[in-house]
Amino acid sequence: MILIDRLARGAFLLPLVFMLVFFALPIALTAVWSVFERTMFWMEPGFTLFAYENFFTSARLWNFLASMYHSLIAVVICLVLGFPIAVFVHRRVPQVAQHRVVLLFILPFMVSEIIRIFALRPVLQRNGLVNETLQYLGITSEPITSILFTPTGVIIGEVLSFLPFIVFSGFLAMEAVPKYIFEVCEDLGASTFRIYKDVILPLAAPGIFAGSVFIFVNGIGVALLPNILGGPGAVNAGLIATQAIVALDFPLAMAVSAIMMVTLFGLLYLGHRLFDLTTILEPAR
Amino acid sequence: MNDYANPWGYRLQWMYLLLVVTTLMSPVFYVMYVSFNENGFGAAEYVFTLEWYGVIFTDKLMMNALGWTLSLAVVTTVVTVPFAVLAAKFYKTARSKVWVVFLLLSPLFVAADIFGAALLVYFKNLNHTLVWVGDWMDTGVMDGWFKLGFTTAWIGLIIYTIPYAFIVVLITMGRYKVQQTEAARACGATAWRAFWDIEFPQIRPGVMSACAFTVILCFNEYTRTSLLKGGFDTFTTVLVSQMLNEGMSEQSYAMSSFVSFLAIAAIGSIILWTLVRSEKLGAEARAKAAPVAS
Repeated sequence: MILIDRLARGAFLLPLVFMLVFFALPIALTAVWSVFERTMFWMEPGFTLFAYENFFTSARLWNFLASMYHSLIAVVICLVLGFPIAVFVHRRVPQVAQHRVVLLFILPFMVSEIIRIFALRPVLQRNGLVNETLQYLGITSEPITSILFTPTGVIIGEVLSFLPFIVFSGFLAMEAVPKYIFEVCEDLGASTFRIYKDVILPLAAPGIFAGSVFIFVNGIGVALLPNILGGPGAVNAGLIATQAIVALDFPLAMAVSAIMMVTLFGLLYLGHRLFDLTTILEPAR
Repeated sequence: MNDYANPWGYRLQWMYLLLVVTTLMSPVFYVMYVSFNENGFGAAEYVFTLEWYGVIFTDKLMMNALGWTLSLAVVTTVVTVPFAVLAAKFYKTARSKVWVVFLLLSPLFVAADIFGAALLVYFKNLNHTLVWVGDWMDTGVMDGWFKLGFTTAWIGLIIYTIPYAFIVVLITMGRYKVQQTEAARACGATAWRAFWDIEFPQIRPGVMSACAFTVILCFNEYTRTSLLKGGFDTFTTVLVSQMLNEGMSEQSYAMSSFVSFLAIAAIGSIILWTLVRSEKLGAEARAKAAPVAS
């Protein structure tokens, strides 16, 4: 009986053990593999910082920084467009319907990312939906050619791909904000801007931060975005890693992965120290 | 909405919300629209046809890929959802929740290409190690355990889908009152019986949603699968290779639309099912309350 009890208790740990072995360990080992020596088709144990030197002293670094800049712009746009929706759903939609309304934002997310990104090509290109509509409405007389295969195309792709996440994380964060706070603020004569700036944003900070990190990290890590929408010059960390694997330069791919991991976990650690990110799941506890 | 608020502000906010959802979906809707055009994208004349969908189902490569994708989706769901339930139950009783959340939700934050690359190198090294151990033990049993193929793609998909399933199950479990389990245990029920007869019926909608999400996510995943799959093809890898090699052909539009229709139908069904179920539960509750009220 004791043995069965122990086995049953052990079963609860199975998912965590699985994640440790097949997620945490490979991610941690990227740092080790990144200092291995490159061979013709693989790599061998050793210690060299050549992959990092290769990354930091080439155009790859500037491409990485440029992709960070584009990602930051996408984060700001997603916040401005998406967070008010989370507030609206929490504040104005009846409690029973809130989750269903949020589910609406899962709908685009459930369509393959590949399809959504590829589908943007016919929408944004010279004779695509956007240009045809703009010309039909008489807003422009000629097609705009500076959208697709430019950083603008990548940013649009990032916003359309990741906007639902700021709604989800914002909504989860807003669940911890009591509704009467809005009424109290309004009764005290605070403007909408002031309510957002001084009350809502600080209270929803953990959710906003988590959503922003998600968008930022995926913006610099999803290779398909610059590959499909950014044209020949657009590169991000994900694309550098996949290109390195295609070129059989595994230490470089692992160095890029390690840099991404340090960026990600550094941001998450900072966010957790500042806002305690577990509070996002507080209502579910 | 309170009685003194401007109703137009409320309507405008709803319109904005629906506009954002429509904008997010517009590329997919546009692809669907083009997929029914006999003349394809950019043609001056629109002629409705189902021809391009017929082409998909006669394509042997595509049907083979569909079979692999479905198999992967099923076996992933079989592992992911029980793992999510176990993890959510563990989370609720864990003293230090930070590490549990960190471990289970981190895959959400790691970009697909980066994680795929890390796992690819991990499996290759694991395989080298197992071959070396096999040689040392004079056995070849472990040689192909982690060779790139179905198993490695499966593991990659489990890790990709666990965070989503975990969140869905956890949110549903949040509404369950643990005192019910305590009462069942106090009445002599075993832990399994208390879970299966008391808790599970109440978290079933979450578990079903987690199953649906897992299947859809597996159907849609490309990056990790393409890096870890080895020699076989899935729906998205065929789609992407066709798109990259031939551009967006009429068949690509039809394939993209087909997958999107499936996903939308699945999510639509979940929304409808929860609506109908809550209506039914509400009606049952009102019927029970009626004699008391009268």
